[in-house]
Amino acid sequence: MTQMLVHTVADRLRAIVGADQVITHPDRLVAYESDGLTAYRVAPRAVVLPETTEQVSKVLRVLHEEDIDVIPRGAGTGLSGGALPTPDGVIVGTARMNRILAIDAENRIARVQPGLINARLTEATDPYGLYYAPDPSSQSACTLGGNVAENSGGPHCLKYGVTARYVTGLTVVMAKGEVVRFGGAGREAAMDLDLVGLFVGSEGCFGIATEIEVRLLPKTEGVRTLLGIFDTMEAAGRAVTDIIASGLLPAAVEIVDHATIVAVEASVFAAGYPTDAGAALVIEFDGTEAGLDEDADRAEQCCFDAGAREVRRARSEDERMGLWKGRKKAFGAMGRIAPDLLVQDATVPRTRLPEVLARITEIGTEYDLKIANVFHAGDGNLHPNILFDRQDPEELERVEKASREIMELCVSVGGTITGEHGVGVDKRGYMPLVHNEVELEMLRRVRWVFDPDGNLNPGKVVQ
Amino acid sequence: MTLAQSLRGAASGVEIRDASEVAGRLMPGVQPVLTASPASAEEVAAVLGWAAQEGVGVLPLGTGSHAEPVADRPFIVLETSRLTGIEEYQPADLTITAGSGTTFGEVDDALRENGQWAPFDPPLVRERSIGGFVSVAEHGPLWAGYGALKNHVLGATIVTGDGRILRLGGKVVKNVAGYDLLRPVVGGRGRLGVVTSVCLRAFPIPSHERVLMITGPSVPDLIDLALAVGTAPVLPASIVVAGALTALDGRSALVLRLHGAESTVSADQATIEAHIGSSMDVVDASQGGVDALLNELRNSGGVEACGLEVSVLPTHLPEVLSAVEEAGVDAFVVDSYAGRIRIGSDRLDPQAVEMVRVVAESAGGALRVGRWAGSDRPAGTPHRDAEIRLSERLVSIFDPGGVLWPTRP
Repeated sequence: MTQMLVHTVADRLRAIVGADQVITHPDRLVAYESDGLTAYRVAPRAVVLPETTEQVSKVLRVLHEEDIDVIPRGAGTGLSGGALPTPDGVIVGTARMNRILAIDAENRIARVQPGLINARLTEATDPYGLYYAPDPSSQSACTLGGNVAENSGGPHCLKYGVTARYVTGLTVVMAKGEVVRFGGAGREAAMDLDLVGLFVGSEGCFGIATEIEVRLLPKTEGVRTLLGIFDTMEAAGRAVTDIIASGLLPAAVEIVDHATIVAVEASVFAAGYPTDAGAALVIEFDGTEAGLDEDADRAEQCCFDAGAREVRRARSEDERMGLWKGRKKAFGAMGRIAPDLLVQDATVPRTRLPEVLARITEIGTEYDLKIANVFHAGDGNLHPNILFDRQDPEELERVEKASREIMELCVSVGGTITGEHGVGVDKRGYMPLVHNEVELEMLRRVRWVFDPDGNLNPGKVVQ
Repeated sequence: MTLAQSLRGAASGVEIRDASEVAGRLMPGVQPVLTASPASAEEVAAVLGWAAQEGVGVLPLGTGSHAEPVADRPFIVLETSRLTGIEEYQPADLTITAGSGTTFGEVDDALRENGQWAPFDPPLVRERSIGGFVSVAEHGPLWAGYGALKNHVLGATIVTGDGRILRLGGKVVKNVAGYDLLRPVVGGRGRLGVVTSVCLRAFPIPSHERVLMITGPSVPDLIDLALAVGTAPVLPASIVVAGALTALDGRSALVLRLHGAESTVSADQATIEAHIGSSMDVVDASQGGVDALLNELRNSGGVEACGLEVSVLPTHLPEVLSAVEEAGVDAFVVDSYAGRIRIGSDRLDPQAVEMVRVVAESAGGALRVGRWAGSDRPAGTPHRDAEIRLSERLVSIFDPGGVLWPTRP
């Protein structure tokens, strides 16, 4: 009976998007069983790949009529299980909605479809002297729609802010297929409650954004990139605090720890970081060429004052890429030292970084787990990466216990359970650490405002 | 039993006073029954819980209110003047948390003692309470360089219309732990709850500020120059064209603020001048004229009896400005990077406002009517149906009894 229903629904969906754009064969569904959080895997019932707002609307109307769960999905690079299917659910993928609809260079805005890859937008606006600021580490693969759903950050959001700052308007298909518009550049005087801001970061639970209007920035004239080498993580953390306290506003301040340096240097991504270093700090300034050397000099002095043994400065774009390499390739490099990697994500007040990092090291020792830290130090946004083998259930249990302790630790110092990866299914169990029951109930009710029947991305964020 | 007696019984500790004490801070015609001054989020919750039960309306009041008199039932003023003080300030974290009744000036003073500031400049900014500042979320010319206030409010404690205390956001700059309920609260004009505490992101004070100005050309020519500045490879902290400035003896001007190291602002000035093909005068800070000029740019359009805000894509500013001038208005402030025009006057002709609105809307923009003295208030651009429907549903879950007094959106 269920199978017949699948066929009936699938036929209706094929009539909307075309026969090739509805995937039901189990072999092809395997690729959609998880997103970047591979510890969880569920095969969806089908995958639908619409190409227009109208098709998304019709698809959602059918799925709502059939009371079928809808799981929106961009590139599937998310790290919190936000695109994890439900067993009876249908994935609505935005892969074919990858067009730039308009670039208005004079007004510095662009309108794009949700399946557009983040880095493509900056490439396309480069000839106009413009770029799109949010730059998640996965920007060569992740999509703008996914960025909107997760309110994605990136290394440079220390200075430039996260996705929400750049989204000015949205076309959204609601759960029953209704197409609505929120906001829009130039319409600010007619804005009521900030529905655009509320939608950004709603993890696919409020609707599917099918057109996204974003603000672009002028390309900066110059950039200076430094790499500080420290004997200890504590000294690197001190340098970060000193740099920020000195009044400097770097575009990015990123740390990789000893374990990560060792992993990177042993991989094909070797970047020339000293393997006996306790931590490496990547600091970048951008802006008007004239003031950059002065900023870089001051940051360099902060590093030496904090105990840096060496500070390198890029003299060319190639050298800059070299200094960044150890940071950007860290996740890839870890793949060779353990079969599985849990990329954790939490934020703490910047001044609490040293004690939190020290305690994370202790937690790793207590649970006999290897934890490598790569993080956005300027924002206090930690990414403790736990290396493990999910075929080992006992080790998996230790990973889960250590993760919870790390989350509890971050919350206890005034931080939060996720800074940029979202809650998805991974952090749902930690939500009571940061929200009491009254607040959780309010989150549920706000979800009902947008999706009263709970068909959109069920089981994510809050139950 | 009077309402005052009833409230005293339900919310002990809350100061209850005659409403006449706050009359001077309300719009004419707004006549509350009494004033309640709670000193904590819990006391605010007690007042709101009582109001929900009694069917009494509540008008939150910081340092002053723009609430229109639309009384259809008794209401009280909930004053935030006892919710004051810096609650937490960690300069190295660039975050500051203050009670909602604290004035922005007090917050700013605390920040400046540590070489930091909060770069927001809506009208009368220093006099405003932080709670009102966040609830109204007007923006000023510094939007170009620093972005909107909503991007820099990291957290807030609010009390919903039925007395639930919600801690939204946090004290960290990146936080995606659940839907961002803080966003509709910022600028929500108190409709989702009474703000009792706010955490703001702070910024280092730039080591140097240079104010540049061009006077002489006509307003349309100044707008063209401002739009050209907006496409330069460097972005000033603010780009403003203002008409009939008192500080400039009635002249109009394009005014830029550049922030950064001295070498940076010098280079930025050269880049901008080359880009627009025109040199600019540096306003001499030592003569005291800068403060008067910047104050006028900040406050103009925000303090007069009638106030309008027009938004439009920057490239459509010329046609809307032309309509504004045709309407006989010569005092306005244009944030050309944001595409916003702020107009203030002691008296505006409703038909002229209607004409400006039509021109703005036909250019894809919108017009909002703020304060309005008189009974002939013109209509602003309506919200979209879906936005109204969803906003009303949001309000209904935050304030199911309709207790909180909406100021006119």
